[in-house]
Amino acid sequence: MNRLAVSISILSVMAAGCVISVFATNKITDDMHEHINLVEESFKRGEYSRSADYAKELQNMWEDMMEHSILINDLGHAVEITSSLAEIISFAEAENDEIYASCDRAQVQIEMLRDMQTPTFWRIL
Amino acid sequence: MTIILIRACILYAVITFALRLMGKRQLGELQPSELVVTILISNIASIPVEDSSVPMLLGIIPIFTLVCLDVIMSTIMMKSPRFRKLIIGSPRIIISEGVIQQKEMKRLRYTVDDLVEAMREQQIFDIGEVYYAIVETTGKINFLQKKDHQSATRADVGHGGSSYDPPSVIIRDGVKDEEQLDLLGLGQGWLNKQLRDNNVSTKDVFLMTADKNGSTILIKKAVN
Repeated sequence: MNRLAVSISILSVMAAGCVISVFATNKITDDMHEHINLVEESFKRGEYSRSADYAKELQNMWEDMMEHSILINDLGHAVEITSSLAEIISFAEAENDEIYASCDRAQVQIEMLRDMQTPTFWRIL
Repeated sequence: MTIILIRACILYAVITFALRLMGKRQLGELQPSELVVTILISNIASIPVEDSSVPMLLGIIPIFTLVCLDVIMSTIMMKSPRFRKLIIGSPRIIISEGVIQQKEMKRLRYTVDDLVEAMREQQIFDIGEVYYAIVETTGKINFLQKKDHQSATRADVGHGGSSYDPPSVIIRDGVKDEEQLDLLGLGQGWLNKQLRDNNVSTKDVFLMTADKNGSTILIKKAVN
Protein backbone atom coordinates (compact mmCIF):
# COMPACT_ATOMS: atom_id res chain seq x y z
CA MET A 1 0.00 0.00 0.00
CA ASN A 2 2.92 2.31 0.76
CA ARG A 3 4.28 1.75 -2.74
CA LEU A 4 0.88 2.50 -4.20
CA ALA A 5 0.61 5.74 -2.23
CA VAL A 6 4.14 6.80 -3.25
CA SER A 7 3.42 5.93 -6.90
CA ILE A 8 0.14 7.84 -6.98
CA SER A 9 1.82 10.83 -5.29
CA ILE A 10 4.76 10.88 -7.73
CA LEU A 11 2.44 10.47 -10.71
CA SER A 12 0.17 13.28 -9.45
CA VAL A 13 3.10 15.65 -8.87
CA MET A 14 4.49 14.89 -12.35
CA ALA A 15 1.08 15.30 -14.00
CA ALA A 16 0.57 18.63 -12.20
CA GLY A 17 4.06 19.76 -13.24
CA CYS A 18 3.40 18.85 -16.87
CA VAL A 19 0.05 20.67 -16.94
CA ILE A 20 1.62 23.74 -15.32
CA SER A 21 4.46 23.66 -17.87
CA VAL A 22 1.94 23.72 -20.76
CA PHE A 23 0.12 26.71 -19.25
CA ALA A 24 3.40 28.48 -18.43
CA THR A 25 4.65 28.00 -22.01
CA ASN A 26 1.34 29.30 -23.37
CA LYS A 27 1.46 32.39 -21.16
CA ILE A 28 5.09 33.21 -21.96
CA THR A 29 4.61 32.72 -25.70
CA ASP A 30 1.46 34.90 -25.64
CA ASP A 31 3.40 37.66 -23.88
CA MET A 32 6.19 37.36 -26.42
CA HIS A 33 3.77 37.60 -29.36
CA GLU A 34 2.36 40.79 -27.85
CA HIS A 35 5.83 42.19 -27.37
CA ILE A 36 6.87 41.45 -30.95
CA ASN A 37 3.75 43.33 -32.10
CA LEU A 38 4.79 46.28 -29.91
CA VAL A 39 8.27 46.25 -31.48
CA GLU A 40 6.78 46.30 -34.98
CA GLU A 41 4.18 48.96 -34.23
CA SER A 42 6.63 51.33 -32.56
CA PHE A 43 9.08 50.80 -35.47
CA LYS A 44 6.27 51.59 -37.94
CA ARG A 45 5.56 54.84 -36.05
CA GLY A 46 9.24 55.77 -36.32
CA GLU A 47 9.88 55.39 -32.59
CA TYR A 48 13.10 53.47 -33.13
CA SER A 49 14.60 53.78 -29.65
CA ARG A 50 11.31 52.61 -28.06
CA SER A 51 11.24 49.75 -30.56
CA ALA A 52 14.79 48.78 -29.52
CA ASP A 53 13.75 48.93 -25.84
CA TYR A 54 10.81 46.62 -26.52
CA ALA A 55 13.15 44.29 -28.41
CA LYS A 56 15.50 44.17 -25.39
CA GLU A 57 12.57 43.47 -23.06
CA LEU A 58 11.57 40.71 -25.44
CA GLN A 59 15.02 39.21 -25.22
CA ASN A 60 14.93 39.40 -21.39
CA MET A 61 11.60 37.59 -21.37
CA TRP A 62 13.09 34.90 -23.55
CA GLU A 63 16.15 34.56 -21.31
CA ASP A 64 13.84 34.16 -18.30
CA MET A 65 12.01 31.44 -20.17
CA MET A 66 15.27 29.73 -21.10
CA GLU A 67 16.18 29.53 -17.42
CA HIS A 68 13.22 27.20 -17.22
CA SER A 69 14.23 25.45 -20.44
CA ILE A 70 13.35 22.23 -18.68
CA LEU A 71 9.80 23.04 -19.84
CA ILE A 72 10.86 22.78 -23.47
CA ASN A 73 10.92 19.48 -25.32
CA ASP A 74 12.53 20.74 -28.48
CA LEU A 75 15.60 22.88 -27.82
CA GLY A 76 16.30 23.16 -31.57
CA HIS A 77 13.53 25.75 -31.88
CA ALA A 78 14.83 27.57 -28.82
CA VAL A 79 18.21 28.19 -30.47
CA GLU A 80 16.52 29.60 -33.59
CA ILE A 81 14.33 31.91 -31.50
CA THR A 82 17.38 33.20 -29.61
CA SER A 83 19.09 34.20 -32.87
CA SER A 84 15.92 35.78 -34.32
CA LEU A 85 15.47 37.93 -31.19
CA ALA A 86 19.10 39.06 -31.37
CA GLU A 87 18.47 40.14 -34.99
CA ILE A 88 15.39 42.13 -33.99
CA ILE A 89 17.43 44.18 -31.49
CA SER A 90 20.14 44.86 -34.10
CA PHE A 91 17.65 45.88 -36.78
CA ALA A 92 15.73 48.11 -34.36
CA GLU A 93 18.92 49.87 -33.31
CA ALA A 94 20.09 50.18 -36.93
CA GLU A 95 16.62 51.39 -38.01
CA ASN A 96 16.66 48.68 -40.65
CA ASP A 97 13.39 47.64 -42.37
CA GLU A 98 14.43 44.00 -42.30
CA ILE A 99 13.14 44.05 -38.74
CA TYR A 100 9.67 43.15 -40.11
CA ALA A 101 10.97 39.93 -41.63
CA SER A 102 12.79 39.07 -38.40
CA CYS A 103 9.66 39.77 -36.34
CA ASP A 104 7.56 37.56 -38.62
CA ARG A 105 10.14 34.78 -38.38
CA ALA A 106 10.26 35.05 -34.58
CA GLN A 107 6.43 34.97 -34.42
CA VAL A 108 6.35 31.77 -36.45
CA GLN A 109 9.16 30.16 -34.43
CA ILE A 110 7.47 31.03 -31.13
CA GLU A 111 4.19 29.66 -32.44
CA MET A 112 5.94 26.42 -33.44
CA LEU A 113 7.55 26.17 -30.00
CA ARG A 114 4.15 26.57 -28.37
CA ASP A 115 2.62 23.98 -30.70
CA MET A 116 5.40 21.52 -29.86
CA GLN A 117 4.54 21.73 -26.14
CA THR A 118 0.78 21.43 -26.57
CA PRO A 119 -0.34 17.82 -26.12
CA THR A 120 -2.84 17.59 -28.98
CA PHE A 121 -4.06 14.19 -30.19
CA TRP A 122 -2.09 14.27 -33.44
CA ARG A 123 1.08 15.53 -31.76
CA ILE A 124 0.91 12.73 -29.19
CA LEU A 125 0.60 10.24 -32.06
CA MET B 1 31.92 16.12 -19.04
CA THR B 2 31.21 17.07 -15.41
CA ILE B 3 27.53 17.47 -16.25
CA ILE B 4 27.43 13.96 -17.72
CA LEU B 5 29.17 12.57 -14.63
CA ILE B 6 26.69 14.28 -12.29
CA ARG B 7 23.76 13.22 -14.47
CA ALA B 8 24.91 9.59 -14.48
CA CYS B 9 25.14 9.66 -10.65
CA ILE B 10 21.69 11.22 -10.31
CA LEU B 11 20.15 8.78 -12.80
CA TYR B 12 21.79 5.86 -10.98
CA ALA B 13 20.08 7.01 -7.76
CA VAL B 14 16.79 7.61 -9.57
CA ILE B 15 16.77 4.19 -11.26
CA THR B 16 17.78 2.43 -8.04
CA PHE B 17 14.90 4.17 -6.25
CA ALA B 18 12.54 3.40 -9.14
CA LEU B 19 13.43 -0.31 -9.14
CA ARG B 20 13.07 -0.36 -5.35
CA LEU B 21 9.63 1.16 -5.81
CA MET B 22 8.77 -1.62 -8.27
CA GLY B 23 9.60 -4.13 -5.55
CA LYS B 24 11.72 -7.25 -5.16
CA ARG B 25 9.25 -9.31 -7.17
CA GLN B 26 10.54 -7.64 -10.33
CA LEU B 27 14.05 -8.95 -9.88
CA GLY B 28 13.09 -12.58 -10.36
CA GLU B 29 11.04 -13.91 -13.25
CA LEU B 30 9.60 -10.98 -15.18
CA GLN B 31 6.00 -10.80 -16.31
CA PRO B 32 5.47 -9.37 -19.82
CA SER B 33 4.51 -5.90 -18.53
CA GLU B 34 7.48 -5.85 -16.15
CA LEU B 35 9.84 -6.87 -18.94
CA VAL B 36 8.56 -3.98 -21.07
CA VAL B 37 9.10 -1.52 -18.19
CA THR B 38 12.62 -2.80 -17.49
CA ILE B 39 13.71 -2.58 -21.13
CA LEU B 40 12.17 0.87 -21.56
CA ILE B 41 13.82 2.20 -18.40
CA SER B 42 17.28 1.16 -19.58
CA ASN B 43 16.73 2.83 -22.96
CA ILE B 44 15.18 6.02 -21.61
CA ALA B 45 17.87 6.47 -18.96
CA SER B 46 20.63 6.42 -21.55
CA ILE B 47 19.28 9.43 -23.51
CA PRO B 48 19.96 12.26 -21.00
CA VAL B 49 23.29 10.66 -20.06
CA GLU B 50 24.50 10.57 -23.67
CA ASP B 51 23.13 13.96 -24.72
CA SER B 52 23.69 16.83 -22.29
CA SER B 53 21.45 19.15 -24.37
CA VAL B 54 18.44 17.05 -23.36
CA PRO B 55 17.05 18.11 -19.95
CA MET B 56 17.44 15.30 -17.41
CA LEU B 57 13.81 15.67 -16.43
CA LEU B 58 12.90 14.35 -19.88
CA GLY B 59 14.47 11.05 -18.77
CA ILE B 60 13.24 11.08 -15.19
CA ILE B 61 9.57 11.80 -15.98
CA PRO B 62 9.04 8.78 -18.29
CA ILE B 63 10.99 6.49 -15.93
CA PHE B 64 8.82 7.39 -12.96
CA THR B 65 5.68 7.34 -15.09
CA LEU B 66 6.41 3.77 -16.20
CA VAL B 67 7.34 2.59 -12.71
CA CYS B 68 4.36 4.27 -11.03
CA LEU B 69 1.99 2.85 -13.64
CA ASP B 70 3.53 -0.58 -13.11
CA VAL B 71 2.99 -0.34 -9.34
CA ILE B 72 -0.60 0.84 -9.83
CA MET B 73 -1.26 -1.90 -12.40
CA SER B 74 0.16 -4.61 -10.15
CA THR B 75 -1.99 -3.37 -7.24
CA ILE B 76 -5.08 -3.52 -9.44
CA MET B 77 -4.01 -7.01 -10.61
CA MET B 78 -3.69 -8.07 -6.99
CA LYS B 79 -7.26 -6.92 -6.27
CA SER B 80 -8.84 -8.12 -9.51
CA PRO B 81 -8.06 -11.63 -10.82
CA ARG B 82 -9.94 -10.85 -14.05
CA PHE B 83 -7.73 -7.84 -14.72
CA ARG B 84 -4.66 -9.91 -13.89
CA LYS B 85 -5.76 -12.56 -16.36
CA LEU B 86 -6.35 -9.90 -19.01
CA ILE B 87 -2.89 -8.36 -18.59
CA ILE B 88 -0.60 -11.33 -17.90
CA GLY B 89 -2.73 -14.28 -19.00
CA SER B 90 -3.01 -17.53 -17.09
CA PRO B 91 -0.88 -20.69 -16.90
CA ARG B 92 -1.55 -23.19 -19.71
CA ILE B 93 -1.34 -26.97 -19.53
CA ILE B 94 0.47 -28.46 -22.51
CA ILE B 95 0.81 -32.01 -21.17
CA SER B 96 -2.14 -33.30 -19.21
CA GLU B 97 -2.06 -36.74 -17.57
CA GLY B 98 0.81 -37.71 -19.86
CA VAL B 99 -0.94 -36.58 -23.06
CA ILE B 100 0.48 -33.72 -25.12
CA GLN B 101 -2.15 -31.03 -25.76
CA GLN B 102 -1.23 -30.29 -29.36
CA LYS B 103 -3.94 -27.64 -29.87
CA GLU B 104 -2.76 -25.74 -26.81
CA MET B 105 0.86 -25.96 -27.98
CA LYS B 106 -0.10 -24.60 -31.39
CA ARG B 107 -2.08 -21.79 -29.75
CA LEU B 108 0.96 -20.86 -27.63
CA ARG B 109 3.27 -21.25 -30.65
CA TYR B 110 5.39 -23.75 -28.74
CA THR B 111 7.28 -26.29 -30.81
CA VAL B 112 8.19 -29.80 -29.76
CA ASP B 113 11.81 -28.61 -29.62
CA ASP B 114 10.86 -25.93 -27.07
CA LEU B 115 9.14 -28.56 -24.96
CA VAL B 116 12.01 -31.05 -25.14
CA GLU B 117 14.57 -28.35 -24.38
CA ALA B 118 12.60 -27.23 -21.31
CA MET B 119 12.40 -30.86 -20.19
CA ARG B 120 16.15 -31.31 -20.51
CA GLU B 121 16.71 -28.15 -18.45
CA GLN B 122 14.87 -29.90 -15.64
CA GLN B 123 16.82 -33.16 -16.08
CA ILE B 124 13.92 -34.99 -17.74
CA PHE B 125 15.05 -36.83 -20.87
CA ASP B 126 12.04 -39.04 -21.57
CA ILE B 127 8.72 -37.44 -22.46
CA GLY B 128 7.03 -40.59 -21.17
CA GLU B 129 8.03 -39.56 -17.63
CA VAL B 130 5.99 -36.34 -17.74
CA TYR B 131 2.53 -36.35 -16.18
CA TYR B 132 1.80 -32.62 -16.35
CA ALA B 133 3.58 -29.74 -18.12
CA ILE B 134 2.43 -26.22 -17.39
CA VAL B 135 3.50 -23.07 -19.21
CA GLU B 136 3.60 -20.31 -16.59
CA THR B 137 2.70 -16.69 -17.36
CA THR B 138 6.41 -15.87 -17.44
CA GLY B 139 6.89 -18.39 -20.28
CA LYS B 140 8.69 -20.92 -18.11
CA ILE B 141 7.55 -24.54 -18.36
CA ASN B 142 7.19 -26.55 -15.15
CA PHE B 143 6.86 -30.31 -15.16
CA LEU B 144 5.29 -32.83 -12.81
CA GLN B 145 6.77 -36.27 -13.32
CA LYS B 146 4.77 -39.47 -13.05
CA LYS B 147 4.94 -41.00 -9.55
CA ASP B 148 7.14 -43.86 -10.80
CA HIS B 149 9.80 -41.41 -11.92
CA GLN B 150 9.79 -39.04 -8.96
CA SER B 151 12.59 -39.20 -6.39
CA ALA B 152 11.61 -40.81 -3.12
CA THR B 153 11.12 -38.45 -0.19
CA ARG B 154 11.86 -39.19 3.49
CA ALA B 155 8.13 -39.68 4.02
CA ASP B 156 8.07 -42.27 1.19
CA VAL B 157 10.68 -44.36 2.96
CA GLY B 158 9.01 -43.98 6.34
CA HIS B 159 11.52 -41.55 7.82
CA GLY B 160 9.33 -38.46 7.82
CA GLY B 161 9.54 -36.16 10.81
CA SER B 162 8.32 -32.77 11.81
CA SER B 163 9.65 -29.75 9.93
CA TYR B 164 12.32 -27.74 11.65
CA ASP B 165 13.33 -24.09 11.54
CA PRO B 166 16.67 -23.53 9.87
CA PRO B 167 19.47 -21.95 11.94
CA SER B 168 19.97 -18.19 11.73
CA VAL B 169 23.15 -16.15 11.91
CA ILE B 170 23.25 -14.34 15.26
CA ILE B 171 26.86 -13.05 15.20
CA ARG B 172 28.64 -12.15 11.99
CA ASP B 173 32.18 -10.83 11.99
CA GLY B 174 32.01 -9.74 15.64
CA VAL B 175 28.62 -8.01 15.36
CA LYS B 176 25.49 -9.29 17.10
CA ASP B 177 22.21 -9.53 15.18
CA GLU B 178 19.77 -8.67 17.95
CA GLU B 179 16.78 -8.97 15.62
CA GLN B 180 17.58 -12.62 14.82
CA LEU B 181 18.20 -13.32 18.49
CA ASP B 182 14.73 -11.99 19.32
CA LEU B 183 13.14 -13.94 16.46
CA LEU B 184 14.67 -17.16 17.78
CA GLY B 185 13.36 -16.27 21.26
CA LEU B 186 16.72 -17.11 22.88
CA GLY B 187 17.54 -13.79 24.58
CA GLN B 188 20.69 -11.95 25.56
CA GLY B 189 21.25 -14.05 28.69
CA TRP B 190 21.41 -17.26 26.65
CA LEU B 191 23.91 -15.69 24.23
CA ASN B 192 26.13 -14.46 27.07
CA LYS B 193 26.16 -17.95 28.56
CA GLN B 194 27.12 -19.51 25.22
CA LEU B 195 29.96 -17.02 24.79
CA ARG B 196 31.15 -17.63 28.38
CA ASP B 197 31.08 -21.41 27.85
CA ASN B 198 33.24 -21.00 24.74
CA ASN B 199 35.53 -18.50 26.46
CA VAL B 200 35.04 -15.79 23.84
CA SER B 201 33.55 -12.31 23.61
CA THR B 202 31.26 -11.17 20.79
CA LYS B 203 34.04 -9.37 18.94
CA ASP B 204 36.13 -12.59 18.78
CA VAL B 205 33.39 -14.47 16.91
CA PHE B 206 33.61 -14.76 13.13
CA LEU B 207 30.29 -16.61 12.73
CA MET B 208 27.72 -17.95 15.14
CA THR B 209 24.48 -19.61 14.13
CA ALA B 210 21.68 -20.92 16.31
CA ASP B 211 18.27 -22.53 15.90
CA LYS B 212 15.18 -22.32 18.06
CA ASN B 213 16.28 -25.33 20.12
CA GLY B 214 19.48 -23.55 21.05
CA SER B 215 21.82 -25.70 18.92
CA THR B 216 24.74 -23.52 17.91
CA ILE B 217 27.72 -23.45 15.62
CA LEU B 218 30.47 -21.01 16.66
CA ILE B 219 33.50 -20.15 14.56
CA LYS B 220 36.15 -17.94 16.17
CA LYS B 221 38.00 -15.25 14.24
CA ALA B 222 41.35 -16.41 12.91
CA VAL B 223 44.36 -14.98 14.77
CA ASN B 224 46.78 -13.25 12.39
